Amino acid sequence: MERSVYERYGGFAQVSRIVLDFYDRIMDDDDLGPFFDDVDMSRIVDHQTKFIAMLLGGPAHYTDDQIARVHSHLVIADAQFDRLSALLAETLADHGFAPEDVTLVVGEFDRRRGLVVKP
Amino acid sequence: MSIEAINEQLLRAIGVGVALVDAQTLRFRFHNDTFSEWFGTPEPEARLGDLFPGLDLAALTQALATGGRFTAETTFKLRRRTMVVAMDATLALDGGQRIAVLVCQNITRIRELESMIDSYSMMVERNTRELKREKEQVEKLLLNMMPRAVYEEYKTFGLVTPRLYQPVSVLTVDFPGFGDMVERVDPGVVVSELNDIYTAFDRIGEQFGCERIKTIGDVYVTVAGVPDAVEDHAAAVANVAVRLIRYLRQRNESHPNTWRCRIGLASGAVIGSVVGVQKYLYDVFGPAVTRAQRLRLLAQPMSICADAGAVASLDGRFEMESLGPRDLGDGSRIEVWRMGEPALAGPAGSRG
Repeated sequence: MERSVYERYGGFAQVSRIVLDFYDRIMDDDDLGPFFDDVDMSRIVDHQTKFIAMLLGGPAHYTDDQIARVHSHLVIADAQFDRLSALLAETLADHGFAPEDVTLVVGEFDRRRGLVVKP
Repeated sequence: MSIEAINEQLLRAIGVGVALVDAQTLRFRFHNDTFSEWFGTPEPEARLGDLFPGLDLAALTQALATGGRFTAETTFKLRRRTMVVAMDATLALDGGQRIAVLVCQNITRIRELESMIDSYSMMVERNTRELKREKEQVEKLLLNMMPRAVYEEYKTFGLVTPRLYQPVSVLTVDFPGFGDMVERVDPGVVVSELNDIYTAFDRIGEQFGCERIKTIGDVYVTVAGVPDAVEDHAAAVANVAVRLIRYLRQRNESHPNTWRCRIGLASGAVIGSVVGVQKYLYDVFGPAVTRAQRLRLLAQPMSICADAGAVASLDGRFEMESLGPRDLGDGSRIEVWRMGEPALAGPAGSRG
């Protein structure tokens, strides 16, 4: 069986660093940060952990319905989705992800655009 | 450089956030670089509560007044980020003025890490539960394909060694006219009724230590003595056989579809093994299996035929009548026995 990106990059020991780094970048970003202004820290971290684990093929699974439901109360624009996509790509690249793996993971992310972006 | 200046340098450079606060007014009098780096620079007239709104100031004042020391953990937002501070306050006197010395650790990252570990553990625990459930389902499926003892061997060694079991008794049963029924009756009804009947057969078989080996359409094969030895294997299959017929007789009285079976019993040797690489099936082969299959074909509907080996092992406990030598259709000719009606009629007619 083909190993997931999550396994190939060292499992949770490595992925945990990506999660926290990504968390820092989002919180510091003036475009994306405001989405989390009134959200409890543990909820954001929980969200990021599962989000990264899912995209990398780790132990988190969300159906499209679940993703759409969780984001239903947010008004997310294409530009903001693009920004998150770019932040994700940067973070992965900074953690030594090969370009093709970055493309793969970001592709997984982009696939879900229609579930969260409101036209 | 004076001692005071050195002290101040030290306070500024130290790796924890240090602040001096007037114990009365709780106004900031000093803070080091680490403090402002972590928690922001207090405004000139700022009080402790301005920076840490979550802090219980009354408790702090009280603790300083009584014991001179206060410890707390508090959170505040720095931009949108929740910062977590572990604070230790002690009272000091500066020329008669009461000063609270605050030593603050930034434990934000620790709390973030803890949250991440919580999140991860929950994910892993849920996955573990799902895996366990899946494993149980796979085990249940495999146990449908092979006896437990064989499954244990398969699980431990990854293969099942073919084994000769001798002597054992084989029972095969089918339903003449099943093909007609399939054409005549709704498929859902046929399958559902066959399922009920097989389930009843399994239950009856289990009572006598028989292991169902397989079903092929309307043919049902069960064995006594595989994989665990059954001392009175012939009596076990004979007891099962008569109860299958009694069960169907009873069932037919209250159901629109009549199910009539014929049964073959034979004792002898069989080989038990898992066959197939991609699709596993535990199966038994050998003379006892072949004979039981052939004898079943000789049996009239709702009757039982047995070979001499089974009859000898039964030792007169069931009333059996000889039908004389018969061709089995595979070139062999053996004496065939039929179970007498008294044994089929009910417990009173059976000595088994």
